[in-house]
Amino acid sequence: MGTTFIIAKREFRSNFDSTLAYVVICLGLILLGFVFFEFGGGFWQQDRASLVQIFAQAPRGLSFLIIPVVTMRLLAEEKRSGTLEMLITLPVKDHEVILGKFLGAWGLVLLLVASTLLYPLMMFFKPWDLGPLDMGPVYSGYLGLLLYSAAAVSIGLLISALAESQTVAFFITFVVLFALHMVGSVADKMPTPWLREAISFISFDTRLVPFAKGMINTRDIVYFASIAVGCLMAAFRALERRKWA
Amino acid sequence: MIEANGLTKRYGAFRALDKVSFEVHRGEVVGFLGPNGAGKSTTMRILTCFISATGGTARVHGYDVFDDPLEVRKKIGYLPQRAPLYGEMSVWEYLSFVADMRGLETSTFKKRMKNIVEVCGLATSLGKDIRDLSHGYRQRVGLAQALVHDPPILILDEPTSDLDPNEKAEVIKYIQEIGKERTILLSTHNLSEVEQACARAIIVSKGRIVADGPLEEIRAKSGRVRYVVQVHEKRVFEGGPAKKAPTAEEVQAALEKLPGVTSVLELPTDDRAHSFQLAGAQDGDIRAEIFQLIVSKGWMLLEMRREAQKLEDVFKALTKNDERRDRGRPIVEDDEDEAEAAAEDEDEDEDESDEDESDEDASDEDEDEDESDEDDKKKKG
Repeated sequence: MGTTFIIAKREFRSNFDSTLAYVVICLGLILLGFVFFEFGGGFWQQDRASLVQIFAQAPRGLSFLIIPVVTMRLLAEEKRSGTLEMLITLPVKDHEVILGKFLGAWGLVLLLVASTLLYPLMMFFKPWDLGPLDMGPVYSGYLGLLLYSAAAVSIGLLISALAESQTVAFFITFVVLFALHMVGSVADKMPTPWLREAISFISFDTRLVPFAKGMINTRDIVYFASIAVGCLMAAFRALERRKWA
Repeated sequence: MIEANGLTKRYGAFRALDKVSFEVHRGEVVGFLGPNGAGKSTTMRILTCFISATGGTARVHGYDVFDDPLEVRKKIGYLPQRAPLYGEMSVWEYLSFVADMRGLETSTFKKRMKNIVEVCGLATSLGKDIRDLSHGYRQRVGLAQALVHDPPILILDEPTSDLDPNEKAEVIKYIQEIGKERTILLSTHNLSEVEQACARAIIVSKGRIVADGPLEEIRAKSGRVRYVVQVHEKRVFEGGPAKKAPTAEEVQAALEKLPGVTSVLELPTDDRAHSFQLAGAQDGDIRAEIFQLIVSKGWMLLEMRREAQKLEDVFKALTKNDERRDRGRPIVEDDEDEAEAAAEDEDEDEDESDEDESDEDASDEDEDEDESDEDDKKKKG
């Protein structure tokens, strides 16, 4: 287990060796601030002490901006530059490499998610106290973000494991995550009920809504967890493929 | 320490390795030679468990590369081609990352580093980012990374490629230094390095081993020794039997009669001397006979020297003739049935047209021309 964490630690820290990570994080937070206070009427129009806006918008920001950037390098870049050979010929198992990479990238995304805690802390505790915040939906909303980001990062990792270059990995990850978010909004327009249900079943947005409202469904947890586990296993296989191809 | 037994690797129809078997014993520094695309890196990747062989087995330090990849990797220090390192890390960070991955205690790591920094000459660059280092220094970091855990076995894939001559010499010096107490398998296509650093060489070509043995033996196996003899054109030995200087034909005829001489070739010289190149068998030494002959004729000997074939020539000869697919057979040219050989050629060509194409890309044009020349000769013969 030790090597997994060493890889995760290196992966996590390598994000801060380039300015890209800082730019992306700052941009992400500024965008979130704008969306939270201004977008669609914004926070002030709701007249409610609620963070629903964060839980509705943060996943999109993560999917469209941050997760593709964070995950694109994970394996594609290592394959291209040959460092993967160096890494794998250390005494480490393939699944530890995958898991370490996943934890490193997930860690960074969770750091970003954690930085949104500034909103509830500053607005409802210190220095401003805008009213009593219903903590239930906040907890469940963060649980949702946690699960969602694990799923999205593992999707990015899988694509990075399959792609030949990080640019390709970036675009494919972006498209896949975009589709998973947007597919929910076309569900209602589908002619047949089974298609409607199937589409809303795979949609990220429909899965995230209950969490933001304070509902924790086992189905949603299993949905995200199984995406994460499935993609990690597939990425493991993709990494193993080098042995035989 | 390293045993490869019938290693075969196929990429689709392309056979990158074909039944490669060799052994490297404790304390040996072995040069793994071959032209580009010969299968050197593939072999090394199999030995370090990065890829799996399609067939055959390999054991490193007693562990099977398929069953115990982790144990194998623990015993190996590996430097892949071009030393791929994480550019964004500093040298110290990178080395301590590798040490962590290898489960080294911090105190042991620091102790080891003192030695490694000295051997690899990294003292001034420990704090620098790897991406800012020159290629030579990166290669040193790569070497340091392979030495961090004090492995009994080192596998170095072209540790000197892309380096300038000074850097090359230094890396070779490090390898000699390191090689005193370790088993090293070192791939390269630079032959002078092998001559400097290794006592033994394995030559691969198109996925097969074409020669394996001590350098002396490999040189010897090519079978021929050259003698160069130069006789004065105008003067003779005073008081000797000869009254006037010999003509080139006389000298040539006399040299040809010597026992063990297979051919005599006149070399171009100025008008002062006759110069000849004699080819003789490897195991004999006919310098005494040559001297005897020249003294008895009363000629004036200007120069005589004996040259064993250079490793470079052997290498060229071995890797060019590989269309004959003569691995496993003696390297000395057999007087075998030409028809049989030709038939074999055709078979192979059909099977592996892919392989030939890719190899042509890899080797330079001169070599290709030579190859085709040789083909023609064979067909005529």
